Amino acid sequence: MTAWQKKTPLEWLTYVNKEVGVLAAEKHKYQGWVLTVDPVSANILLAHPLENGKMSISAVLGHAVQDVEILTEADDEMKEKLAHLFMPEEMRRCSQ
Amino acid sequence: LGPSSLFSKVTANAAELEREQQGRVALRERYLRSLLAMVGRPVSFTMYEKVSVTALFGASDIDVLNFQVSELQTPLGVQKEAVLRCSDIVAYSFEL
Repeated sequence: MTAWQKKTPLEWLTYVNKEVGVLAAEKHKYQGWVLTVDPVSANILLAHPLENGKMSISAVLGHAVQDVEILTEADDEMKEKLAHLFMPEEMRRCSQ
Repeated sequence: LGPSSLFSKVTANAAELEREQQGRVALRERYLRSLLAMVGRPVSFTMYEKVSVTALFGASDIDVLNFQVSELQTPLGVQKEAVLRCSDIVAYSFEL
């Protein structure tokens, strides 16, 4: 198990809503806002806003994560956006 | 299947454990919702050894060890149905 896979849920939570750079296996690099880290697989889920208004979602698999560097913290608007990305419509309405 | 018990550092303290479990739930729910959002969408997979393939995402098992996909575009042609082992994948991405 890698150091990333051995982290606890509370440690992974500190990465949520942060912009990070991820170094993965075979020198692949990814950058984006952390949506979540799956506590079972340690997969790290990143969101990257595109120019056309869409969102690019990338996941780096837990076993391939070598290093995660925190770059910036999200402002309230970005946090709101990230929180609602995968929420079903009816829950979105309830929370408004 | 994955390990039957999950890694935890705080089993001694009940309040800490509760906090860790709540963190685990929040992280896991977001990840599962992202898998739901991915169903039926074209997803690009970056595999080891510089292999990239795209496919329509179908389902994942609970341990996130395998992905079921359709219309897998490989250098050797299109595979109608396939299962990808997550241990072979470095990262995957899709658009929302």
